[in-house]
Amino acid sequence: MTALTLIFSTQLTHLAPIDILILVLYFAVVIFIGFYVKGSTNTSEEFFLAGREMSAWVAGLSFVSANLGSLELMGWAGAAYQYGMLATHWYWIGAIPAMLFLGIVMMPFYYISKTHSVPGYLQLRFGEGARCVSAVSFALMTILMSGVNMYAMALVMNVILGWNISFSIWVGAITVAVYVMLGGLRSAIINEVLQFVLIWAGAALIPILGLVEAGGWSNLKAQIAHNVGSTDYTHMWTTLGHFRDNPMGVHWTGIVFGLGFVVSFGYWTTDFLVVQRVLSANNLRAAKMAPIIGAAFKMAVPFIVIVPGLLALAVLKNPDGSILHLVGENAVNAQHPYSYNEVLPLMLIRYCGPGLLGLGITALVAGFMSGMAGNVSAFSTVWTYDLYGAFINKKASDKHYVAMGRWSTVIGMLVSIGTAYLVAHAASIMDYVQALFSFFIAPLFGTVVLGMLWKRATKAGGFWGLLAGTVSSIGMWLYTTYGGAAALSRIALSADARPMAENLYRALWSWIICVAVTVVVSYVTKPTPEAQLAGLVYGATPIPDDGATTLWQKPIFWAVVVIIVFFILNIVFF
Amino acid sequence: MAEGTGRGEALSIWFFVGGLALLYGLVLTPYGAWAWFTHHEAPTVLNQLHPTFWWGLLMSIFGAFYTIRFRPGKG
Repeated sequence: MTALTLIFSTQLTHLAPIDILILVLYFAVVIFIGFYVKGSTNTSEEFFLAGREMSAWVAGLSFVSANLGSLELMGWAGAAYQYGMLATHWYWIGAIPAMLFLGIVMMPFYYISKTHSVPGYLQLRFGEGARCVSAVSFALMTILMSGVNMYAMALVMNVILGWNISFSIWVGAITVAVYVMLGGLRSAIINEVLQFVLIWAGAALIPILGLVEAGGWSNLKAQIAHNVGSTDYTHMWTTLGHFRDNPMGVHWTGIVFGLGFVVSFGYWTTDFLVVQRVLSANNLRAAKMAPIIGAAFKMAVPFIVIVPGLLALAVLKNPDGSILHLVGENAVNAQHPYSYNEVLPLMLIRYCGPGLLGLGITALVAGFMSGMAGNVSAFSTVWTYDLYGAFINKKASDKHYVAMGRWSTVIGMLVSIGTAYLVAHAASIMDYVQALFSFFIAPLFGTVVLGMLWKRATKAGGFWGLLAGTVSSIGMWLYTTYGGAAALSRIALSADARPMAENLYRALWSWIICVAVTVVVSYVTKPTPEAQLAGLVYGATPIPDDGATTLWQKPIFWAVVVIIVFFILNIVFF
Repeated sequence: MAEGTGRGEALSIWFFVGGLALLYGLVLTPYGAWAWFTHHEAPTVLNQLHPTFWWGLLMSIFGAFYTIRFRPGKG
């Protein structure tokens, strides 16, 4: 993602006393919450799964908020400036179908298996080998991502406000460590819900005032078409007929199958960081409803992310009245002082004076801190249950595991701080961390979905499929990284493909390889007795009634409503 | 039980949401009113619409609703 290489040229603004008051209030409330919920965080289920007592609304908002970090906000606002409405695909087809699939199809298995984590489900279905591969890779990724978030926050605060990098890193890390160590997942979830509200409160004024300034949506489209000399920036599908017809260099097959199916389903249904939020639901119906509620809110996010990027194409001007062109980080110079990634701060400063600016900055800080907290709380769960509890100390008391969860939170934050300083000295590490994530997500989805839907999948099939998919993804990444344009054209099926397309097609191929290897190995190995699959696989599990009695209570009804709105939005912005 | 904060706790998660929004509204609204009526609006685009005041008022109403609706001891 482009936001991972944020490079800003100058300090953009400064905070007034009222802005600092708003920021301080946020920190005070967050720390207070940590101390407040500590009393309800004594058992492992309370610490790691928030006592499984969250309502559908809390779990759903937390589920969508865990993904709504500041890196995403700033990165995709920049992508909207660069690619136009094509960036919206990452919020709609790249999220909504997968979230609904998680709620309706997969959640019953995660929930009724009473697993504490996604690696935990893999252990139940495919044995210790699959769990070990998944847990080690996930623990490593989350701790690295926490550090990346920490450094990104420090960098953004440095360039927007001139804050010292180390000051931002340590204040953010200590605050997050305190509230997660005290309250575990419960603290993280409460803060994610707060952060969701804050992000809307801090960012919604940008599109509202921007659309007023532009004279409405129709005028905005006309101004963009005039400024960039093309109407392509305000359509989602019409330019996807060929790789060379759109600025992203992708084809609709890559968007539909690579993004909409593999990448999206992989992230939203198997990344424990988001799935953990839903596992905290207080009953099966809440667990099914949470991703559907999350999907409904996810569809609205482009309003505060994509619209500001589009508005920047129309309204940002130089002092002499000419159009202000934002450029890639590597092209920033005296003539072009701002990069794509500065779209959101630039638009914030354009419309928000003292007070509102503090609210916007607080929303960004909340987004970064919530990103750190989400990663660290997921790390401490997987470390304690799937690594420490599974391989190092299997028979400790519940109290011991809670203590381990608290200590692993602190150790995790210290490692994250180390990562943040490492990234500060070698920014390219951020790109590698992002690439590492992509190695595991697509194959993991192949393994989990076959495990849930296909009784014949065996333990050996699951393990070798996961390993083959991951290794092939790494192999393709190395091939396209060092093989130049020829390698990219082979992986993405076109000489006109650009790096964005490579991610999508690599995910698709690695998923297909994972599924193919799982199927072949399963057929040549001994089937798992059906009795051992109860509660884990479709066809071997009676799905318990979720307790819905009226149409309004049925998750499937709301999933249909969301998918209808999803189709309407895609047609309107076709 | 207070929703989201644990068994036996008094403050619901929605109370925190409302409380923080109300606090921000109570900071922004008077500041926006002062900037409006004393002509100290920041030189931002569309500042003639007085966004700080109106946004602060909206947050106050939203925050007050949630704070009262989920106040400790209710339900």
